[in-house]
Amino acid sequence: MHDKRYALVIDSRKCINCKACVVACRAENQVPLGASRDWIGEEHRGTWPRLLAAFQPEQCHHCVNPSCVRVCPTGASYQRDDGVVLIKEEDCIGCRYCMIACPYNARFFREDKGVVEKCTFCAHRVDRGESPACVETCPSKVRVFGNLADPAGKLQQLLATRQFHVMKPQTGNDPQIYYLL
Amino acid sequence: MPKIEWGILIVNYLFLGGLSAGIYFIAALATYLQEKDETAYARIARYGAMMAPWPVALGSLLLIFDLGNWWRFYKLFVHFRWQSPMSIGSWLLLLFTALTLVNFWAWLPEERRTALVARLRLPRWLDRDLAGSRRLLAAAGFPLSVGVAIYTGVLLGAVQARPFWNTNLVAQMFLFSALSTGCGVLILALSLNRKRLDATQLRFLYTLDICLITLEFFIVLPYLLHGELSVEAVRNSLALILGGPYTLVFWLLFMGTGLLVPLAIEVWEIAPALGSGAPLHHNRRLAALAAVLVVCGGYLLRYIFVYAGQLSSFSR
Repeated sequence: MHDKRYALVIDSRKCINCKACVVACRAENQVPLGASRDWIGEEHRGTWPRLLAAFQPEQCHHCVNPSCVRVCPTGASYQRDDGVVLIKEEDCIGCRYCMIACPYNARFFREDKGVVEKCTFCAHRVDRGESPACVETCPSKVRVFGNLADPAGKLQQLLATRQFHVMKPQTGNDPQIYYLL
Repeated sequence: MPKIEWGILIVNYLFLGGLSAGIYFIAALATYLQEKDETAYARIARYGAMMAPWPVALGSLLLIFDLGNWWRFYKLFVHFRWQSPMSIGSWLLLLFTALTLVNFWAWLPEERRTALVARLRLPRWLDRDLAGSRRLLAAAGFPLSVGVAIYTGVLLGAVQARPFWNTNLVAQMFLFSALSTGCGVLILALSLNRKRLDATQLRFLYTLDICLITLEFFIVLPYLLHGELSVEAVRNSLALILGGPYTLVFWLLFMGTGLLVPLAIEVWEIAPALGSGAPLHHNRRLAALAAVLVVCGGYLLRYIFVYAGQLSSFSR
């Protein structure tokens, strides 16, 4: 195993749907309006006074077996040794096969550049030792970013003591966003 | 709900690529089979050779123009990624198109060839008789045409995020559908020839197409049965054609007028030959109708699969 495996633990119950993460990401990565690298899934149930509103932040799951990387015909989509899945913009021909292959619909097409784009885990910040913009900005501390390969790290601590689930595990992608229950 | 990323250009391409592969395969079979040391079905072989290069060439252009950065398409041929069906397919497409062009050249009548070389100012060495290589070109075409035809299905089937596609039956379905559309176009070409109807060659095509449609039918049925007996996500995705937005087009237009009606016409056409040995019914209009329906059916199959597949996904 590599000595680094970046992942995200999300405590959805703390999410208040303020969308600061979406705004922070847009500002940090110059994401054009009309598309988002991260978003908040909403679920509403019941009628007042017995009701539920649940929020689930979503983005690229930086899978261990990313189907987008597998289907990419030019190698533009690739996975770093630390698990981060990225797109080499100059190699992307805009065929959008990766968008179709992603079970999470985490990728979008940029009409202005003719390429596919998605969450990078703010690799440029992470490489400087900082955390992703969405993590840093979250006011209710929903998001915990860290190195899963570190046995004493905060991710392993959380996952050892809390129950969690991952989205759509049946695709075999082995997604790396862990949602605490 | 997932968005439609691959639209009508991709449907057209999948259809045209499969059509060329089908035409080439049938024509190659007609070339390869011999009777008294001569090509048994020379007319089919020649028509096929003349038609095969153009649909795939047009389809490849559509494919390139569907790209976000079409001028970067050369990058497909700088990298080879064996895990990506699109990468394998691009190379297959390149080799196959080259082969169809060489085969076209090998079947072009001598005077046309010489005239073409003169008119387009091509190098003189191109004006050479390749008739001796026709059987070799046919044999080389079997794996390449089957490869191109089946890859269009693998392209969709290999996507595990889309339960509507994610079965190996889609590849087989697309293969036999492609061969059948090729057969259909050749039947149309032969039956449009007003000077004479060649009964032996038409019978060969009808027989082949009946086999191909039957194979396709018995792949579509297990596809539905397996799907219904599969996991929840697959069953939900099949609802798109079993009570969803694509139900009518699937059952009435594809299964009905695209598969079973032409099958019935073709069986009726060769029926006299089964019993008494009389040649064929020889109804030129019905033959043309069956051929057009087969081709439309092939197009609709790709339309339904490209669109419905993108709407299918795992719910959680």
